[in-house]
Amino acid sequence: MSESLAGIAASPHPALLEVRNVAVHFPLQRRSFGSAAATIRAVDGLSFSLAEGETLGLVGESGCGKSTLARAILRLVPTSAGEIFYEGRRIDSLKASKMRPFRQQMQMIFQDPFASLNPRMTVSQIITEPMQIFRLHDRKDRQLEAMRLLELVGLNPRFLNRYPHEFSGGQRQRIGIARALAVKPRLIICDEPVSALDVSIQAQVINLLMDLQQQLGLAYLFIAHDLAVVRHIANRVGVMYLGRLVEEADAEMLYANPRHPYTRALLSSVPLPDPRSERHRQRIVLAGEVPSPDAIYPGCKFVDRCLMKAMDCQQQVPQLAGGDHRVACHFAWDEERYQASLAAANQKADIAHDPA
Amino acid sequence: MDNCILQVDDLGVCFHTEEGRIQAVDGVSFALHEGETLGIVGESGSGKSVTSLALMGLVPSPPGQICAGRALYRGENLLAMPPKRFSEIRGNRIAMIFQDPMTSLNPYMTIADQLIEVTVVHLGHSHREALKHAIEMLERVGIPSPSRRIFAYPHEFSGGMRQRVMIAMALSCQPDILIADEPTTALDVTIEAQILELMKQLQQSQGTAIIMITHDMGVVANICHRVHVMYAGKIVEQAGCDALFANPRHPYTLGLLKSVPRLTQATSARLATIDGQPPDLAHLPIGCAFEPRCGYATPECRQQSPQLQDSEDADRFACFVDITKESPLKDPHV
Repeated sequence: MSESLAGIAASPHPALLEVRNVAVHFPLQRRSFGSAAATIRAVDGLSFSLAEGETLGLVGESGCGKSTLARAILRLVPTSAGEIFYEGRRIDSLKASKMRPFRQQMQMIFQDPFASLNPRMTVSQIITEPMQIFRLHDRKDRQLEAMRLLELVGLNPRFLNRYPHEFSGGQRQRIGIARALAVKPRLIICDEPVSALDVSIQAQVINLLMDLQQQLGLAYLFIAHDLAVVRHIANRVGVMYLGRLVEEADAEMLYANPRHPYTRALLSSVPLPDPRSERHRQRIVLAGEVPSPDAIYPGCKFVDRCLMKAMDCQQQVPQLAGGDHRVACHFAWDEERYQASLAAANQKADIAHDPA
Repeated sequence: MDNCILQVDDLGVCFHTEEGRIQAVDGVSFALHEGETLGIVGESGSGKSVTSLALMGLVPSPPGQICAGRALYRGENLLAMPPKRFSEIRGNRIAMIFQDPMTSLNPYMTIADQLIEVTVVHLGHSHREALKHAIEMLERVGIPSPSRRIFAYPHEFSGGMRQRVMIAMALSCQPDILIADEPTTALDVTIEAQILELMKQLQQSQGTAIIMITHDMGVVANICHRVHVMYAGKIVEQAGCDALFANPRHPYTLGLLKSVPRLTQATSARLATIDGQPPDLAHLPIGCAFEPRCGYATPECRQQSPQLQDSEDADRFACFVDITKESPLKDPHV
């Protein structure tokens, strides 16, 4: 339970956002009378902190709980356990009315620029609505502010009276960003903000988010499945697997020297846009798929797909441990063991491919 | 080369919409050879999917219409084929995998029924033969305990497994050509790696030619031998995979390659971008469609649309400017 507390106590200022052992469980209906009700453990005991002006990237595959975590931080789903602090004040148990001022500080950018803007509202209405809710600016000034925000996100202020359908995906995402900025937040949770966009547009939006961070001192919790995008924007990166953080480090460090066998497999799976290195690259193809989040694992959740697994892994939960580079694996720093397991796995795979 | 099995000449597909006629595919020509993987790359609206639908005879009509060109499969023109003959080829000699494995399987039918249908219709298998064959196919694509799982419904399978079922279905009749439209886009990277590996293995053992339609330059680098880059319905560059990545000749290809975030690039560096928005197909400029976003554009580009022209090494690109010699006139926002 105390895995992350050591690091936090050492820092003199409270982090902007701190998440301690948060869990989000969804109980399922019983299949039949008398059988135990299964529980989906979408987020299962996860801790991290995010400093002012910093970007923490969260990566993981579908179903790993990254979006649920984002929703839990904004209290869009209730947490089942753990604590969430905003600037040292606990927010996970606040009443709705007490939560309100915090909502102004934390905003969200959504994945789907087509579904996240109300098609019946003009751009002006979309951007000024949050200002109305938090009673920011006079009515007249809100229009001016909306124009300023449009300019800030790289759109023409003349677009104010248009409707979302008149814009392309990238432009809509910019409108979504302007709406998030309307209440002057300090933390923006970006849930897959560029994954619905074309590559050339994706780069524009990533650059915009980085510029805005510099200008406005925003902190981002940046959730994405694209490891290359996260590398670009994040200072620190956390890798999630089945509701838990399995590795967390400085972005540079994590990509240069991944330690968790899952992180290694994930990084080696990303196809690189370079045919030559792609041909000579050693790819660790993981067997099987992410298990269902209602499975109960007394030990490590990655054990079924892991190259290095041992008896211990089935029984003991590996804690996220280490200073700057935290890894939840019993054998994270045992390189010899890893290389030996990898060689053994490759040999097995070769035999499987080539039965002769 | 004479082992060409599909020759597409000057393919044009248009859609009649409220906004007028939209030319989704315009003058696309290419050849596909036995056992090769041809990549078609482009962003949304570039016409890459419509090209593949046209080859499968699946362009919805109306509003769509194939307005020009021919596609010769072993000498027969697919685009002018009687529907009966086409349905003998489709799913049999030419098969397709779609992007979304969630919606491309029939939720009311078991996996068994869907797989059996293919070989019963095309190869005249009996039900028992077809079932045996279907189980073999599932085994080959790596579905665990196939003889039991085959009686499941699609919703009982995960996304990666459904895509494997789609591949098994597409390869059931050992097609000559497999058209894969963004087959891994909806999948996670570790599953994507498995599926790409599987496609390569099956290509090696069966000699299937693959048309890989994707927007992901990583997937292209991983699996393709030759690549065609599409923009606004036209092929703007055709090249071998290595040459395209090492030495892109069209400004759009160059921009696309530069704007891909890379795992190997330093953190917090700004990404190169392509300015502006993708073109509106209903209002294309007279000149080059990429001209408004192009850093190399000259006055000529605004008046005339460049045609694909040969360069010294048989690769082709549609641009008036030699970007290997000129430097961009506009600052490309690096």
